[in-house]
Amino acid sequence: MTLLSQIIQYAISGMTGGSIYAVIGICWSLVYLITKVLNFTTGEFVMLGGMLTWVFRTAGFSLVPSVLFAVACTILISMILERIAVRPVRYPNEVTYMMITIAGASVIKGLVLLAWGSETRRIESFFDTEIIHLFGATITSQVLCVFGLLVIVTIGLSLFLNRTLFGKALRASAVNLTGASLMGIDIGRFRLFCFGLAGGLGAITGIVITPITFTGYEVGMLTGLKGLVAAIVGGWTMTGTMVAALALGLIEGFGAGFISAGLKDVFALLIMILFLIVRTMNFASRTGRGSP
Amino acid sequence: MNGVPQSKLLWLVSIAFITAIPLVAGSYVVGVMCFIAIFGGLAVSMGLLLGQAGMFSLAHPVWFGLGGYVSGILALRGIAPPWLGSIIGAVFVGFVSYVIGAPLLRLKGYYLACATFGLLLIVQISLGQLGPLTGGHEGLMGIPPFSIGGFILETDVHYYYLSWALCLACLWFLYNLMGSRMGRAIKSFSDSEVAAKSMGINVPRFKLKVFILTAMMASLTGSVYTCYLRFAEPGIFGFPLQVQLMTMVIIGGGKTLYGPLLGGFVVMWVKELIHMYLGKVLPRMGAQVDALFFGVLIIVILIFMPGGLSGWMDRLLDLGRRTFGKTSG
Repeated sequence: MTLLSQIIQYAISGMTGGSIYAVIGICWSLVYLITKVLNFTTGEFVMLGGMLTWVFRTAGFSLVPSVLFAVACTILISMILERIAVRPVRYPNEVTYMMITIAGASVIKGLVLLAWGSETRRIESFFDTEIIHLFGATITSQVLCVFGLLVIVTIGLSLFLNRTLFGKALRASAVNLTGASLMGIDIGRFRLFCFGLAGGLGAITGIVITPITFTGYEVGMLTGLKGLVAAIVGGWTMTGTMVAALALGLIEGFGAGFISAGLKDVFALLIMILFLIVRTMNFASRTGRGSP
Repeated sequence: MNGVPQSKLLWLVSIAFITAIPLVAGSYVVGVMCFIAIFGGLAVSMGLLLGQAGMFSLAHPVWFGLGGYVSGILALRGIAPPWLGSIIGAVFVGFVSYVIGAPLLRLKGYYLACATFGLLLIVQISLGQLGPLTGGHEGLMGIPPFSIGGFILETDVHYYYLSWALCLACLWFLYNLMGSRMGRAIKSFSDSEVAAKSMGINVPRFKLKVFILTAMMASLTGSVYTCYLRFAEPGIFGFPLQVQLMTMVIIGGGKTLYGPLLGGFVVMWVKELIHMYLGKVLPRMGAQVDALFFGVLIIVILIFMPGGLSGWMDRLLDLGRRTFGKTSG
């Protein structure tokens, strides 16, 4: 391979990862902005999507029903989690929410491990098309599916949030929860809806990525955390998250290609820590406000 | 407030009780109690950070693991015996936690947790990747046992006394610390940082001090742990350990100093029971499956008993005091 084709190949794999992180980052911010819960189970929903599709596939269903079942199950699990674990907390604060969702994540992970074992699972690509060649680099049809997912999710979500009454109400409650509930918006229902939506989006992401990266009980935490990195760096907005996620994916792709594949995951986490630290410094010196 | 087990009598009784256990109990109980001392001691230092100072750091296993690795590598290469290695490890961890903590502790709440979670994963991945130094994913094998002078600690009973001595020393030290000016300062900023600042408390400096102190305690515990197991691998210092520590602190109650140790006692025995009775039913027992049960415990306790066991006991003592008319604690 020439250098050019290598660069293109790394860029493509980086963009693939970046698109995934973007959708996951949107899942984090959907839940965080409305409920103020940093939902550490987001990554596990991604894992559940892929895992459940594999389960239904091996049970003999064809691809489309398996995907639908898997998404439905994940949405259900996500909503159950909100109802039985997040909502009944008596003294809600950040630390308690975080502990609850971290505990929820380890419960989901443990259950999946018990039920389906620690082996790596895979499902086949959605389309049986030829591999596309571009300057010596190769693109599979599944990669195009991943890009398509990102486009569909962002367009769909922005239409939903800007055009429909429900979406507008959702945005209002993200801006001011008390004000929104005074306007007659049922916050409890919205919280449930946000968890469900995040679970569903996470599951779809997990399903689309599984033919490329495969899945296993432990992939959730790191993938989810990188989505969180994108959401934090992007300032919890949709556009910001997308830009941050794609940049993150590219850094990871080139880092893995040119520096070290084993340390690939370290780059994203280092970026998050550095970003968080730099952010506090800026805030403290320019506006005189404290750290976030 | 949390002065309940401060009385000398209670200390003496618990020390006598702990000293007596190896004389009457079998090696199995001693082995489990040894782990309770190690993880309970670790949970005590985490409880100080989380419950008293209100800093939710997920990086506690990092210090535990780094301490273990430093003393393990030094002992394995024959550079320093384990007792010296564990002190060098603690100093090293103290330095690292200072360098990392100084910028990191400007963060609060969610962001502090995210950053320290990142740190946890970074260290775990790096320990696996630094093959020649740390033994990579296979881990460090054949770490020599603890020896002081010519006396080599080999049996479970030796490590039982060593780990309980360390654990109780940490607890005793923390009780004295929390009674001092620094302790009162720590409590004040966990309640309200603004109020603490207005009283002239240098909050960032105290936070950094607490962070370094707990990191060094965790490092010492980690050294004892790796010398006891005579083995270290990146997997044992990862996220499942963090969940386990959180469970201990939450079950015991982080608002008191002895709570996490109590939680450690409960969690380790629950874990043993699970392994004993479910080991045959569930084929794949491991840290991840333990984490499943711990997760359920965390959720249940946080919802139904937010104060944990020690909060519950304090309420009971309080009730007793009021009923029987004794006014002073």
